[in-house]
Amino acid sequence: MPQDQKPVLSVRDYSLGYKVGSDTLSVLKTINLTINRGEILGLVGESGSGKSSMASAIMRYLAPNAIENAGAIHLGATDLRAQTPRQLADLRGSRVSMVFQDPATALNPTLKLGEQLAEVLMRHQGLTSAQAWKAGEERLAHVGLKSPAEMMHRLPHEVSGGEKQRVVIATAFACNPELIIFDEPTTALDVITSRQILDLFAGLQAETGVASLYISHDLALVARTARRVAVLQKGEIVEEGDTVTLFRAPQHPYTRALIGAVPRPDRRLVKADPAPEAAPLVKVRGVSVNYGRKSLLDSLLRRDFTPVVGNRAVTLDIKPGEILGIVGESGSGKSTLAKAMTGLNRFDGLIEFDGKPVRGLSDMGRDYRRDVQIVFQHPDASLNPRQRISEILARPIRLYGGRDGLPRRRQIEEMLERVRLPATYIDRFPHQLSGGEKQRIAIARAFLSNPRLVICDEITSALDVSVQASVIELLMELHQQTGAAYIFITHDINLIRQIAHRIAVMYRGDLIEVVATEAIAAPDRAPYTRELLAAVTPPASLTLTA
Amino acid sequence: MTDFLRRLLATPQGLIGSLVVVLVLFAALTGAWLAPHDPDAMAALARYKAPGGDYLLGTDQYGRDILSRILSGARSTVTMALLATLLGTLLGAVVGTGSAYLGGRWDEAIMRTVDAVMAIPSLLMALLVVSLLGASGANALLAVAIAFMPGMARITRAVALTVRKQDYVSAAVARGEGSLYIVLREMLPNVIAPIVVEMTIRVSFAVMLFATLSFLGLGAQPPAADWGLMVSEARQYLHRSPWILIWPSVVIAITAIGFNLLGDGLRDALNPRT
Amino acid sequence: MSASYILKRIALIFYTLFIVSLLVFGITQVLPADAAVMMLGENATTEALEALRNSMGLNDPIWMQYLRWIGGVVQGDFGTSLRTGQPVGPALFSALGTSLTLAVFSLTFMLALALPMGVVAAIRRGKATDLFVSFLSYIGVALPEFVTATLAVLFIADWWGILPPAGYVPLSQNPVEGLRHLVLPVVVVSIIMIAHVSRMVRSELVDVLHTDYIRAAHLKGLSRGRILLRHGLRNALLPAITIVALDVGYLLGGVIVVEEIFSIPGIGRALMAAIQARDLPVIQAGVLIMAATYSIVNFAADLIYAWLDKRIQYD
Repeated sequence: MPQDQKPVLSVRDYSLGYKVGSDTLSVLKTINLTINRGEILGLVGESGSGKSSMASAIMRYLAPNAIENAGAIHLGATDLRAQTPRQLADLRGSRVSMVFQDPATALNPTLKLGEQLAEVLMRHQGLTSAQAWKAGEERLAHVGLKSPAEMMHRLPHEVSGGEKQRVVIATAFACNPELIIFDEPTTALDVITSRQILDLFAGLQAETGVASLYISHDLALVARTARRVAVLQKGEIVEEGDTVTLFRAPQHPYTRALIGAVPRPDRRLVKADPAPEAAPLVKVRGVSVNYGRKSLLDSLLRRDFTPVVGNRAVTLDIKPGEILGIVGESGSGKSTLAKAMTGLNRFDGLIEFDGKPVRGLSDMGRDYRRDVQIVFQHPDASLNPRQRISEILARPIRLYGGRDGLPRRRQIEEMLERVRLPATYIDRFPHQLSGGEKQRIAIARAFLSNPRLVICDEITSALDVSVQASVIELLMELHQQTGAAYIFITHDINLIRQIAHRIAVMYRGDLIEVVATEAIAAPDRAPYTRELLAAVTPPASLTLTA
Repeated sequence: MTDFLRRLLATPQGLIGSLVVVLVLFAALTGAWLAPHDPDAMAALARYKAPGGDYLLGTDQYGRDILSRILSGARSTVTMALLATLLGTLLGAVVGTGSAYLGGRWDEAIMRTVDAVMAIPSLLMALLVVSLLGASGANALLAVAIAFMPGMARITRAVALTVRKQDYVSAAVARGEGSLYIVLREMLPNVIAPIVVEMTIRVSFAVMLFATLSFLGLGAQPPAADWGLMVSEARQYLHRSPWILIWPSVVIAITAIGFNLLGDGLRDALNPRT
Repeated sequence: MSASYILKRIALIFYTLFIVSLLVFGITQVLPADAAVMMLGENATTEALEALRNSMGLNDPIWMQYLRWIGGVVQGDFGTSLRTGQPVGPALFSALGTSLTLAVFSLTFMLALALPMGVVAAIRRGKATDLFVSFLSYIGVALPEFVTATLAVLFIADWWGILPPAGYVPLSQNPVEGLRHLVLPVVVVSIIMIAHVSRMVRSELVDVLHTDYIRAAHLKGLSRGRILLRHGLRNALLPAITIVALDVGYLLGGVIVVEEIFSIPGIGRALMAAIQARDLPVIQAGVLIMAATYSIVNFAADLIYAWLDKRIQYD
């Protein structure tokens, strides 16, 4: 067989484990993979599936406690496992390279972007510093960066996340490698930026014909990007095949569950507006939040002080029992509004709850606190690590009174059952629970006070798809049982279209518009809303079956 | 508690540190009774004896048994170091948490002043305080406590501010909890751990600082069996018998190492997430 | 780094010195010492004492005495030593020169040992070298200067006779003898700092070596040397600058002990003598000069840090 017809990457019967104490923790089990020239293989898995370990194994960058079996990893004709460290260093960056999840941490914060790109060219192509710098400018222009010469001299903190990722991509493509591993390259980016990075990737890939391993937890994204997909579950490839076939007729139950868990805007999880004519439960009127304070020096020098804007005069209504989605990119002010409504931020303007005006912290009495609850994004941070579940869940009962005649402990156990957790968890500490379980505890804490409004601040974005689906299911169930209104803050537009009655779109502190969910895709939406929607990857099941 | 102890003793630092500290504390508590000789009994015929025989660690310039003096000196040295650290930490914690709680301009003013006080080296600060109050053990205790205060205030404030920003505190605020509950139940348990670690490590500094003060003649006064003072007095006789000098130096070092190791061990053991 | 940041930082130095001057003036006021008695002796007549007190302004309100003192300090007049009758300023500043020589040599020696130790320990993490360095630093941190100084004098100076046990020879006068006299004091005052700084450098570098950008650098195929020098050390040593500057406070304290033991005529020894003799003007000036040294070193460190780490946006 001639050399150029060999697959670019072939992994044969490869297994990997880590030695922990006297045990071996298995992460990858008998993996078989091939990627040919010009091909993109999507590797999909949830956290802990071993997908990142696969990347490390191919790059031969493993922890000292890694234990491998006899399996083979070949790059073209080169046996990667047989390479000396010296030979590997020659390969990395030149024949195989990598694009990382978070460009903010993958770039050295104290070195100029230009140097971080040029050093690869100097290392592998033997260019002089001046030549490499010149070549670097061309590479940056090629990944769509304006004024590349200037960009070369910037430090990472001086450019945006999207620009950083473009630099990382330029570095990965710099030496025309045979294989590039993309490890969740858009997860840390905003929706619109992600779309642009994906378009850039598609363009460069088609142009260079580089073999690509695209690792992601996002099924919809992989379906759009890769021709072939492998599904990884707990270290095993449970299903692999052509993208369209795999999504149309998934064979393995895990694949089916995974596809089922992806939010689809067309599959609504709530009934229509519960009370279209009812008076609003909450009226937010011209609420603004500014950060920062004038420093002594500023006043001494009579300098103008410009505060950082969190929210600019936001006005909206929430009806009883309504689910209002708030979407926007990071820094759009979604969480700022949530904090203002729960008394965690000072604000100007007026919030009217059930007819009672709230102008600041002092107006948020016991009733308001009981009626308005918040659930945070990271349960790790929102549950006190030194309190047992029993204490965490006892607080709302103590503060707002639970049901009479029932011992507090019994009420907590009942609540645990309502959020589908074993009653035995009552004496555990948060760190003894999984991420999804912790978030259920946080939800239980919010619902113990029988609130009328629950603010959910990105509560599923730190969770895996399947866990997210079950948490959403729980929320919808609680919504039906209690009739509480929700403010659901998220950046996941597919998800919010499933569960919200109305959607508010925010951008840089401004409320762009509030529209009924059915009308979010209408052509007469605000330009930003349209841009945002266009950037969203629709679920694979929709695009592929259509 | 048993879980915590198991984690503490699982690390080499924690294990060795605990052993040494327990030993030192034991000596501090029972040293006076354990001492084979009267620590102050002079014996003209048994001066400058090398270790061995009746005198396990030898004798000093007055023929006093060194082991007995070290054992009986443990109480004052270790107790004083513990008390001074505790007092310094308490004072510092009050200033630090107060500053963090007040926030804004007040916080800035308080912390700048604390920084200013830190511009005086702690040894110099202790020297000043002792010379102000007069050279004595009790005054040295106060001096060390005052010298530790600004540093502890800084650390407490930093820890308190970090904890203050955590979502579980935000959740408690949003829930409408009272300040007392938030401070005592939500913040304090998370603030205390790093402070206990810092405090443990500071005990070793305190032991050394006390010894230094005594050495400079501003701490314990002769004929007290104080470790630092023993080193100081021994200097004149080191050509007759170096052991008078070496033994107290060794115990000072071992005690300091013990508390240092224990501090590092506690740091790991008190982290709830590992 | 903007001009207003520098301005703010300089204002901070003055604030620090103001607070320190208040403190030290307060302490010396409470000190049980009567300057007039010290100058005229115990046998002076009450009238003579009273006359001197009046002429020295000791009967004025405290705030006036403070203003007079600080006014003098601002003009470079630190007052007159009660013990020697000489002006305090010139004597202390020449002593400060001696102490700074000791301090600069100590800092250099400390960095020359602590940085490589920390770096090697971080690279060989968990290996024998690392354990050995940790072991050394645990011991080093637990040895007070007076113990190491006494032991050093006992072994190296007295028994082996390699180095002089005490004394000071100005470098300008006789460089060889000057250096010989500096060796023991420098080593003694550096030990604790070496232990502290090497541990800190190790933990900083271990953290940096675990960052994503170091992994990225490895996966770009860069050489180990370049990764360590260009990507690793730079980021690990940046925080070290501030910590070393804070350690200068510790160094100044150590200098007091070491000068006392080795009979070096520096500011530490002058301060010790003044404290024992309750020579108030010398104590006041000495503490103020020490605090000023510390503040200026930290100011310089902050400037260097800000200059090296362009990420920091001071305003």
